[in-house]
Amino acid sequence: MIITICIGSSCHLKGSREIVQKLENLLKLHNLNEKVELVGSFCIGNCKSGVCVKVDNELFSLVPEDTENFFTSEILRRLTYDCYQL
Amino acid sequence: MLRESSNIGTIKHEVLYEVAKLVFQGELEEKKETLPLEMIPGPQANFRCCIYKEREIIRQRIRLAEGKAASPGSENKNIVQVISSACEGCPITRFVVTDNCQKCMSKKCQASCNFSAISMLRDRAHIDPTLCKECGKCSQACPYNAIADLMRPCKRSCPVDAISMDENNIVVIDEDKCINCGSCIKDCPFGAISDRSFMVDVIRLMESRDIPVYAMLAPAWEGQFGGQVTVGSMTEALKELGFDGMYEVALGADFVAASEAKEWSEALEEGKKKTTSCCPAFVKMIRKHYPTLMDHISTTISPMAATAKLIKAIHPEAVCVFIGPCIAKKEEVLDTIDLGGADYALTFDELESMMRAKEIEPKTFGEHLQQGSIYGKKFCISGGVTASVVQSLKETTGDTNISVRVCNGALECKKALVLLKAGKLPEDFMEGMACEGGCSNGPGSILTGRVANVNREKLFAQADNREIHENLKTYDQYEFSMHRK
Repeated sequence: MIITICIGSSCHLKGSREIVQKLENLLKLHNLNEKVELVGSFCIGNCKSGVCVKVDNELFSLVPEDTENFFTSEILRRLTYDCYQL
Repeated sequence: MLRESSNIGTIKHEVLYEVAKLVFQGELEEKKETLPLEMIPGPQANFRCCIYKEREIIRQRIRLAEGKAASPGSENKNIVQVISSACEGCPITRFVVTDNCQKCMSKKCQASCNFSAISMLRDRAHIDPTLCKECGKCSQACPYNAIADLMRPCKRSCPVDAISMDENNIVVIDEDKCINCGSCIKDCPFGAISDRSFMVDVIRLMESRDIPVYAMLAPAWEGQFGGQVTVGSMTEALKELGFDGMYEVALGADFVAASEAKEWSEALEEGKKKTTSCCPAFVKMIRKHYPTLMDHISTTISPMAATAKLIKAIHPEAVCVFIGPCIAKKEEVLDTIDLGGADYALTFDELESMMRAKEIEPKTFGEHLQQGSIYGKKFCISGGVTASVVQSLKETTGDTNISVRVCNGALECKKALVLLKAGKLPEDFMEGMACEGGCSNGPGSILTGRVANVNREKLFAQADNREIHENLKTYDQYEFSMHRK
């Protein structure tokens, strides 16, 4: 799974670097570094809301405080769903 | 202003300059729609068939300057992008029989062709383009060198065969194969390939004044603004532009040389072959085209990442902007966001446009400043990384007996990687640089070739002869990991 985080100036000021750090820590904690890749992207063009984060082409808008929630509700859920599929 | 004499370089530069100016004035959003009309007022076309094509090219270039894909609605994430409106679709068949053909008796061309594509006309051979499979056998077989290989310049320049044509002969770059080396950008005679830019983001962050933004100048910068502009004077100019300070990437290169020397020594004991990791296009080449060799890439981070990590150890809030001759570095930034390294990467081209937009000229004097050793500074020249690692070994273990294959340019890299894959590389280590001559000939340079070399030599001669490890001692108090995970 690839999580794309916008690193454009607008998202940077809204805390994209902090979100990357938090996600990185959460991935380490859950031992998912091998399964999930974090990559940056140029401005995604949705600057009006929070930090743009894309998972499998689905666009999310986050603030750093939401990161943990997002991780549990989206990333972990998707990964467990994938496990059931197998 | 664009004129008939405008070449590709000036068009790219003018667009970056105009966009930079608008961002500094805070007017990009409201004025970008009218910018193509201002730049191409008409009614006479300057460099293409009509003003409408010219304006569309400018429009696509503005999108790239903003960091977007060249075509609206495109999902293409590549750094290197095709400016479709600028592509001429070069209507050339690859192998063509020239006047040199003697219509000889041996007809070796015809005999060598496995596809019966060659027939004999009244006075020379003819290749049927519908049958030709572009294998090149006829060209090799002709005793008169009469068959010219006219491969499209973009396709010829690509070291990883990532370029093909669509049904209208417009160039298409295969994202899965492209290593963003920028070779095609340099070689397309119509300037139809270019790269996305972080320039707008960097200017906006500098202008916001909320966070400190630091510039990191790649070693190849010396000489790009003339033989008189020193590290000290450039630092002043960058501060005037809006950066909070400047660090030489040559300093990060010193860290890399020390780390690489240690890693290589360990690998030698284990009998493992290693490659360098500082050239992002070379690393990408291994990852995408020789994935089984990934374990051989040294885990030492790049000089760009090392410099950024040092800056962040000193100024934790800093935004670190790499400025270099390299286009692949932009992808390295995107690929390694979890590393805590560089936040953005710009080219010298883009820096020059920003300085012009703010009417800043680096002065030709300034206080003497040097952060990197001369060994770190020479990372930008083919063979420079190896020389630095050897120097580091000399300063530490004293055992400098290592064998390194210095690969100068993407083609040499490919050859060595094929050998390594087959287990037949005689050397223990590989230094890989995708640009011929090293970073100093990178596609994002302002000057290349002899002029750049003369300027650089002049400036390098002013550096003192401090040693690598002696230099690193200054930064002993700052701790950060020199390895990727």
